[in-house]
Amino acid sequence: GLKTLHLGSCVVTINLQEIQHGFSEIRDSVQAKDDNINIRILRSTESLQDTKASEKCCLLHHLLSFYLNRVFNNYQTTDHPTLRKLSSLANSFLIIKKDLQLCHAHMTCQCEEEAIAKYNRILSHFEELEPQAATVKALGELDILLRWMEES
Amino acid sequence: DPGAVVPAPQNLSVHSANMKHLLVWSPVILPGETVHYWVEYQGEYESLYMSHVWIPSSWCSPTPGPECDVTDDITATVPYRLRVRATSGPRASAWSALKPPFNRNSTLLLPPRMAVRKDGSHLVIELEDLGPQFEFFVTFWRKAPGAKEHAKVVRSVGFPVYLGAMEPGAVYCVKARALVRAIARRSAFSQAQCVEVQGEALPL
Repeated sequence: GLKTLHLGSCVVTINLQEIQHGFSEIRDSVQAKDDNINIRILRSTESLQDTKASEKCCLLHHLLSFYLNRVFNNYQTTDHPTLRKLSSLANSFLIIKKDLQLCHAHMTCQCEEEAIAKYNRILSHFEELEPQAATVKALGELDILLRWMEES
Repeated sequence: DPGAVVPAPQNLSVHSANMKHLLVWSPVILPGETVHYWVEYQGEYESLYMSHVWIPSSWCSPTPGPECDVTDDITATVPYRLRVRATSGPRASAWSALKPPFNRNSTLLLPPRMAVRKDGSHLVIELEDLGPQFEFFVTFWRKAPGAKEHAKVVRSVGFPVYLGAMEPGAVYCVKARALVRAIARRSAFSQAQCVEVQGEALPL
């Protein structure tokens, strides 16, 4: 069912179970294409897990935009079922991003220096890789982001 | 006539009830030829970030009939653009687009069908299975002046749900409505159904 995300003073309800189910159906095929197994873009310990409650909303907002702007639309596949699952994930992320934008409008999703620094570290890990390899890795690591959302 | 243009499908519309979405259109008639249809869709994300990308529908690429169940394609509560074209052999029509785009939050939510019965001295309800996105808000009461109304949210269906114990000689009524959180909407209540418990009413 639905999950309520407590992101500091921003609270949003999302269909996390549906998103997790959708990703689980493409995870293995995506991760199988990742040749850079010793590099990690989303590092649980360094970036996500120790995020303060007040920073969570800003970091998630930036990560959602990252996936919407640089990952979902650059992942190359001719497999129609995968394309459909990606569409489902992307449109679900779009809804969550809209909800966070509402929080931002109501000043409950403010960005502090630490959250921006954390996001920039993630971006630099992403940009270390060749673009298509980075896209594959970032998509394959979506379960790290979803687990963090589940714990929030 | 192998050279004739294949006309584009017309009159696209979506019939949506209880989160089942059926795209329909007028058939393309080409005497002596076999016509197939191809359905594609874009969610709001594709429209905004990848407008050149159209995704083939799960069940209708191609399909012989002038309709397509797009329920498995419409998986988020955002506007979806849908389009259809007809083909006959190697020839294809232009695409016809559904206007305006479809959002599943416009689906018609109907009162749920239910079966109310007694199991010994217990009031029991069984609700139709409308899919994983549905929950049901059930209210039940003893038919008597000033009787209190009880409520229960039922999330899993397809088997009997025990609502509570009943007193002999009393009449108990139940009604239910469907709830879909993914679109933040609910149906009207069903008609109340009542059952009477045999036996002598207990002295007050």
